[in-house]
Amino acid sequence: MSLAIAVDIGGTFTDIALHDAASGRIWRAKIPSVPSDPSQAFLTGIRLALGEAGQAAPALKRVLHGTTVATNMILEDKGARAALVTTAGFRHVLTIGRQDIPRRANYLAWVKPARPVPASRVLEVKERIGAGGVVVEALDEASVHTAAEACRALGVEAIAVCLLHSFANPAHERRVAEILREKLPGIAVTASVDVLPVVREYERSLATVFNAVVMPGVSTYVSRLQDRLDGEKVTAPLLFMQSNGGVAGGATIRRAPALTALSGPAAGVVGARDVAVACGFKDIITVDIGGTSADICLIKDGKISLTQRGQVGEWPLPLPMVDMVTIGAGGGSIARVDDAGALTVGPQSAGAEPGPAAYGRGGKAATVTDAHVVLGHLPAKLLGGRMALDAAAAGRAIDRKVAGPLGLTREAAARGVLAIIDNNMMGALRIVSVERGHDPRDFTLVPFGGAGPLHGCALAGLLGITRVLIPPAPGVLCADGLLAADLKAEFSRTLPKAGAIDMDAAGAIYAELEHQADDWLTAEAVAAGDRQTALIATLRYHGQGGEVAIGWADSKAEVEAAFAAAHQSLYGFALEAPIELVTLRVEVTGRMPTPPRPVLKAGAGAKALGRPAVHFVSGKVDVPLFDRATLGAGDRIVGPAILSQLDATTLVLPGWQGEVHPSGAVLLTTDVA
Amino acid sequence: MPDVSLKNDQTSACDPVTLEIVRGAVRATQAEMEALIERTAISAFIREKKDFYTALFDADGVMAVGSNLPVFGDICSPVFRDFPPDTMREGDLYWYNDCYGSRGAISHSNDQVLLAPVFHDGRRCGFVMGWAHFSDIGGLRPGSISPDTTDIFQEGIIVPPTKLIDAGHTNEATLKIFYRNSRYPEQNLGDMRALMASAALGVRRIEEIVARFGADVVADALRQLVTRTRNLVRTKLAETFAYGTHRFTDAIDSDGHGNGPFHIRLALTREKGPDGQGIEGDRFIFDATETDDQSPGPINLLLNPDVPGTALSMFYLGGDPAQVCNAGGPQALDEVRLREGSLLWPKFPAPLGMRGLTLMRFLAAINGLINVAGGKAPAAHSAYVISFMRGTFRNDKGELEPFLMSDGIGVGWGARPTADGTDAVYFVAQENYPVEFLETGYPVRLRTYGILTDSCGAGKYRGGCGIVREYDVLAEEAVLAIRIDSVKNPPWGIAGGMSGGAGRVVVNPGTNHERAIAPLSDGNIVRRGDVLRIETGGGGGHGHPFDRPPEKVLEDVHGGFVTVDAARLLYGVAIADGALDKTATAALRIKRPAAGAFHRHTYVDSLS
Repeated sequence: MSLAIAVDIGGTFTDIALHDAASGRIWRAKIPSVPSDPSQAFLTGIRLALGEAGQAAPALKRVLHGTTVATNMILEDKGARAALVTTAGFRHVLTIGRQDIPRRANYLAWVKPARPVPASRVLEVKERIGAGGVVVEALDEASVHTAAEACRALGVEAIAVCLLHSFANPAHERRVAEILREKLPGIAVTASVDVLPVVREYERSLATVFNAVVMPGVSTYVSRLQDRLDGEKVTAPLLFMQSNGGVAGGATIRRAPALTALSGPAAGVVGARDVAVACGFKDIITVDIGGTSADICLIKDGKISLTQRGQVGEWPLPLPMVDMVTIGAGGGSIARVDDAGALTVGPQSAGAEPGPAAYGRGGKAATVTDAHVVLGHLPAKLLGGRMALDAAAAGRAIDRKVAGPLGLTREAAARGVLAIIDNNMMGALRIVSVERGHDPRDFTLVPFGGAGPLHGCALAGLLGITRVLIPPAPGVLCADGLLAADLKAEFSRTLPKAGAIDMDAAGAIYAELEHQADDWLTAEAVAAGDRQTALIATLRYHGQGGEVAIGWADSKAEVEAAFAAAHQSLYGFALEAPIELVTLRVEVTGRMPTPPRPVLKAGAGAKALGRPAVHFVSGKVDVPLFDRATLGAGDRIVGPAILSQLDATTLVLPGWQGEVHPSGAVLLTTDVA
Repeated sequence: MPDVSLKNDQTSACDPVTLEIVRGAVRATQAEMEALIERTAISAFIREKKDFYTALFDADGVMAVGSNLPVFGDICSPVFRDFPPDTMREGDLYWYNDCYGSRGAISHSNDQVLLAPVFHDGRRCGFVMGWAHFSDIGGLRPGSISPDTTDIFQEGIIVPPTKLIDAGHTNEATLKIFYRNSRYPEQNLGDMRALMASAALGVRRIEEIVARFGADVVADALRQLVTRTRNLVRTKLAETFAYGTHRFTDAIDSDGHGNGPFHIRLALTREKGPDGQGIEGDRFIFDATETDDQSPGPINLLLNPDVPGTALSMFYLGGDPAQVCNAGGPQALDEVRLREGSLLWPKFPAPLGMRGLTLMRFLAAINGLINVAGGKAPAAHSAYVISFMRGTFRNDKGELEPFLMSDGIGVGWGARPTADGTDAVYFVAQENYPVEFLETGYPVRLRTYGILTDSCGAGKYRGGCGIVREYDVLAEEAVLAIRIDSVKNPPWGIAGGMSGGAGRVVVNPGTNHERAIAPLSDGNIVRRGDVLRIETGGGGGHGHPFDRPPEKVLEDVHGGFVTVDAARLLYGVAIADGALDKTATAALRIKRPAAGAFHRHTYVDSLS
């Protein structure tokens, strides 16, 4: 027996996938989430899946988990009451931030967002480390004791420590954290060098503060999950999806819980990559469309690239995360016409409650889902018949909020809403593709999430993409992603002072980082044969603000040539200027057993369940509706058509045709570029 | 093809949906251009401070999608004068920084404008602009702008509108002349390559947009975006401004050459036109001719006639992301009157380098003009602060090496009728140098960088606080230029709100060799071991301070924004041992001072 179970907890539903590597069988379950105690749904889901498979808990070999606990604490400002300890003279580091009004904001109307830790909870300690890590003023430990007392008086539950230049010399910061832990047992203390040892104090402070803010909650959560598993006699290790698309054990997550800020979306990307690779596609663009947001990611050669310039909500969070772009566009995105006659869709969302007008829960706003309903893209009932759609309410909402104000027909208005949301998503698709030098036409689009497959063909058409791959279970792909994920971690060092490449010095740092990486892999019990290591460096021309990451090479000349080539390809030019080495990074992977895919039986030809009417520009057309559960390998579909299944609906536009792949995915193609 | 394609081949009109898609696509293009500049430019001024912007113009050079700040004037006309649009070819790129030659389209010579025509199927469809502040282009002192200049020739090389790329062939000789005139040629080379690459990218993207929707549809879309802004601004102007003339006056302290104050006197007149009914029949006339004469020092602002309308439009467009700052703002005004020889329309070759100070005070005066007419604009902000330090430091090898540190420092912004003013902000999109970056790149070490306590104008909504920065000078010797205004004439508060605090510069504070530095001055020598303290001003308050909830005042005290003394004196809030004293607060608040319409040092009915 080699059983693995994946539990992905989202805001509305918890998805469970139980996988038996021996037989290749997968059991799935979808149950409502319990926001007040997510561990409840976690346990219920595991019991349910094990019951269906007729298996006992001790048979589990791995338990994998994707969580939005940290994400929600950050986005909804519901984390721990935290303090920040900083270098004397710099208590307003968060207040000032980068002292800018955002480029797209109106300087008269903009209000600076409230900081996760207000200035009244920022404390100073006397010490100073200067540029390059030089100790300018020794740490005054008495000032740390005073700060500890102040923290106690403020009643904080967590403390972030971020001192100037600690990335170059962490001694003071580590000592401050040590004293605080001694003096304040029970309070979570987090040092910036353990979270993000890189230059720029505002961004580093913010990342550390977020880590502190989510630390008690995530720590409690991890403990509770472990207790529940122990209670069920599960002995398998519990692994968490991180923002970087890899999993890690509870100890890693407890120390740096902010690493899970994008846990859920990262799992989806891994799942999409896995589905695509199984079908032979290594160059893909994934679009994960849920109720309120869309996450878009480009994968080249089957490799998921990471970024350190990511964002969570309106905050920069420069931790390693899957390089994706998130925009406020989803099924619940609200369409409205403003005073000046401009039609906008999103980023406001009707959410799950009251949701789109079509959900019949009292929602009055016109949403993207309502536009789909008006045009006949969605069957009358969703979730296997558990949820009926109110087409009349959807029509009224579109009429009142869009068609009326703009003087359009109901259908034209609905098409307009979809055209705008598709265009918004196309902007994000361009950012990950064309902006980075990739031609989207060379890629296969993989839409998933509850609403993804409704938009796949339309988005592909806008970008000239001719292949769209619909995963077997697009609505629960995150759970699949967990099963497919490897253990991953990054160990990086920003040089105290960026400068010309010194191969010997770099070699010494890499050796040290590899040593740390090996220790981590050993702690995570990864066998020697399953370990993979990559050496990455970021470089720039002297004076530049952005770095380009490249694979490390054996000689200075090769490294410099690789950088110049990458710069040319990214930005269209290279310079005859000195090249500087900025950061060294070791990325390690502990390979996990790949789940073999179930193989679908050959189909006997697709048979339509019915022929609902769909409104196209050319007029109303009755299109075939297929139940995906009845399709077999090799079955073909000619658009226009609708594919219905438990967790999602696929709209196949005219001009597209589909074929069912033995893995269960459906490949849609078009001849019209 | 999928039916979502809304391309309409029958007519040239752009439907409302396609309009928003075109707008979104142009915004995405701007974001791409900006990201390229930010990542590849070489000077700290561009890459960390991010002093660069982009815009898109229609085929006739009308700005259709700009950036969110009222700085740009009519960018294209100066190029068209020497290079008629019909003579332009695919692959051309035009360049200038000539302030007087562009009638203030750009307003100091450090700002370089690149303008590229976009063609599709041989037809000119629009223009893409890349714009950035270059850190040194020659001139009197490193950094090129200095409070000491007395004519524009001392502010660096002047490039009249010229063709930098002719159908794909770059005029490298011109670039060499330009680089040779800089003290830091390698920075200018890197920045220029970044700006050129960004313009090329913009051209490609806009051409793709035109190919997707058709040239006629895009042309109509851009026209509609301009008209939409114009109509919105005009409607709102009519809501604020009753028939008649509305006036507002504010004063700038000094030009750095011993002259001042300089008064900015603005008037907006709404009158019924000779024909036509309603708002369209009205005439809106902006008049700044009463403004004082131009200054000998470099605070003159060559105000392109498009700027007042753009500035007014920024208020009326508000925070709605669907609205676009473009030529619709200036088009909303029927006439702009400026007087040659005045501070806002100086005669060539008057110096312009420090015009940022005047622009910021001008923008605050626009708020004042809206407020006196009954609109709900913010109180005044302080003029943002810049400093230049140039000199030598000893490098790792013990040799003396020259350096130029140009820095922008945030100030407090004015309180709004519904929100506090913003603390510690410079301007749109312009970021600070992180301390860790500054100390690694320049011979300084910061002793403190924080909020300047009590610099915010008191009010029901308080003004934003300014900043304090204290440096240890590690350079062997350096010459310091500083630009601070709103010291004698601090940012006014309104509706009971009080004026914001003033900035100042002092060397070696609290020692027996303490010395003050004039707020707008150059040639100040600092040496290794000196401590330099720069304080920046705060924004004016809005509403009576006694109406501010005591809990908010307490939080401000705990956060270091307001002192206990100021809480008692200005807000009538008593705080003892870190807690509110409710009884004492109630007693204090009974003696509520009577307020005037405005406040500067004291309550007044109008400013002068």
